[in-house]
Amino acid sequence: MNRFAETLYDSYGQEFRVDELLYEDKTDHQHLVIFHNAAFGRVMALDGVIQTTEKDEFIYHEMLVHVPLIAHGGAGRVLIIGGGDGAALREVAKHRQVDEIVMVEIDSGVIDVCRKYLPGHSAGAFDDPRLELVIEDGLEYVTRTDAKFDVIITDSTDPIGPGESLFGERFYRACHGRLLPGGVLATQNGVCFMQLEEAAATARRFRSIYTDWHFYSAAVPTYVGGIMVFGWASDDPQLRRLTRAEIGRRYLQSGIETRYYTPEIHRAAFALPRYLLEAIGKACNAAC
Amino acid sequence: MRRVEAIHPGRGNYFRDLARIHGTPVLLVDSQKIRHQYLALKAALPGVKLYYAIKALPHRQVISVLAGLGAGFEIASSGELELLRQVRINPRSTIHTHPIKRDRDIRQALRFGCTTFVIDNTEELLKFIPYKHRIGLMLRLSFRSDDAVVDLSRKFGCPPEDAPELIRLAARLGIHIKGLSFHVGSQCRTPDMHVHAVNVCNQIIRQTHDLGAAPMSLLDIGGGFPVGYDRQVPSIETFTAPITQTLKQLPLHVTVAAEPGRFLVAPAGTALVSVIGKAWREGRFWYYLDDGIYGLFSGQVFDHARYPLAVFSATGRRYPGVLAGPTCDSIDVIAENVMLPELHIGDIVLGRQMGAYTIASATGFNSLPPAKVVILDGWRPDETRLAPARTMPAKPRPA
Repeated sequence: MNRFAETLYDSYGQEFRVDELLYEDKTDHQHLVIFHNAAFGRVMALDGVIQTTEKDEFIYHEMLVHVPLIAHGGAGRVLIIGGGDGAALREVAKHRQVDEIVMVEIDSGVIDVCRKYLPGHSAGAFDDPRLELVIEDGLEYVTRTDAKFDVIITDSTDPIGPGESLFGERFYRACHGRLLPGGVLATQNGVCFMQLEEAAATARRFRSIYTDWHFYSAAVPTYVGGIMVFGWASDDPQLRRLTRAEIGRRYLQSGIETRYYTPEIHRAAFALPRYLLEAIGKACNAAC
Repeated sequence: MRRVEAIHPGRGNYFRDLARIHGTPVLLVDSQKIRHQYLALKAALPGVKLYYAIKALPHRQVISVLAGLGAGFEIASSGELELLRQVRINPRSTIHTHPIKRDRDIRQALRFGCTTFVIDNTEELLKFIPYKHRIGLMLRLSFRSDDAVVDLSRKFGCPPEDAPELIRLAARLGIHIKGLSFHVGSQCRTPDMHVHAVNVCNQIIRQTHDLGAAPMSLLDIGGGFPVGYDRQVPSIETFTAPITQTLKQLPLHVTVAAEPGRFLVAPAGTALVSVIGKAWREGRFWYYLDDGIYGLFSGQVFDHARYPLAVFSATGRRYPGVLAGPTCDSIDVIAENVMLPELHIGDIVLGRQMGAYTIASATGFNSLPPAKVVILDGWRPDETRLAPARTMPAKPRPA
């Protein structure tokens, strides 16, 4: 019986039993594998690093999507960068008030493979009439487009790999220019206990571009090493200062169904541990 | 004077057949000999994990043979990493040992899944700050050796006396130095320098036990295990016995690795080249061969090797001769002032011990195509029937 050992860290890592190898694409440039595991369902790994699993993906995707959309309150235009598995798209599509979704994915092959082997991730969302799918490098798209958005979401790989340019200053700056007034950018920013520098680097870049920025967190079991963080950047400081009651009202009004996201978690997710605050150069969680 | 062995032509049928089938120049690689060398070294270094230094002979089938025996792989470039990816080597059994790397080399290795790297100075240590949570480093120490044919401690390596400071700096930066490594050289005549180096490393591992984020738990003793070219070398058990004894002094938590290249593949390689021209100049026969020091015999320049040569001839008479390569360059001479039976155009010249650092460092000078590499499963020169042979491209595909 085969096993898959994640090669993210030298001295620590998670291992899966491979109950059935479903797909493998090993080229000179990357190694994509999808297998079935008894505990996590179908598991996708890229270059030895777990990207998503059927069992725990809802935590990640609900937090990546619903926190900025509920906080915005009236998002009509949403841009997703990356997210080839379609699950971020699926969550965005739950919001009825969204009338246009642009998804920019660099690799159409990823979408094809995920629609076939991880069908629950997109759950038909690729057929949503509000979707405009663009196959292009995310940085190039945000640099060249004139379109503006209420919410921009980056659902990327780690900075070591194809997602590298989505962590750079140029990208964050270009996103800033693509946000409508009151807009917000939410980013995937890694497991901060293990990859503190990733959040710290993003914080340094946000600081020089956005009026209000912070991180919020969730614990995703297969992103091992504790909580992972999402970057939050906007020119509207009110978006992350909504009351519990207001978030709850919007959540009910949206009518979306969630398994992880709750209004209480939404608010609490912005409370960061001290070591992370120090790494991102903030004195406290509150009004800083 | 360099000796050229004259083998009875009746025993040359095996090689002539192979030369006819594959053409010359050709490098024949016996995979059974590679297995034998690996198992011999494993037995001579009990408990030591062997990482094949693929630079010696970067060939897919050689890598597959060694992977089948449980070997790990030592890489020094992104190109070597791509080769391992093509052969589907588990990245957990690889180590990246080049002391000097570009940021993109580090990133490519991390993407491949290799998380062990080597540093030997502060600048190189600082390159790992962004990746400190993902990696484990070995600190390479230098031990200058007057004894080795190739001194590998001149260009790389941190002097042992500077090691504690570098380990302290790494600890301050939160970068984990998980072990020490050294390369005392290539083709060592005695194991004395290995023994000395292990002793020094043992002291440093013990002295710095409480300095870093964690104790060092790995010692990589490099390579240097000799094979016979133009002189006798001690048997591998004899060579490693004092090293093995010294390794027993290490703390129990330390695992030991080695990076053999030459020892595993050199004896498995036999080159066949053909006489393509012949001239009598100034009292000597000049024989022009279809490969020379820009090709399979490049190790005579880069690796300081002198390969044992043989021809197939029944005549006892020998004449002074020169064996020259095919290029226009006058330095392209394999052997000068050798006494040879008279050779004829089409005759085969055989080079032994030519598996390591031969085709690996061949150039494309004069636009001459590289020699073909043929992997044989078993070496049967005494049989008239050929062993089944498979052919592979001489060089790995460019990444």
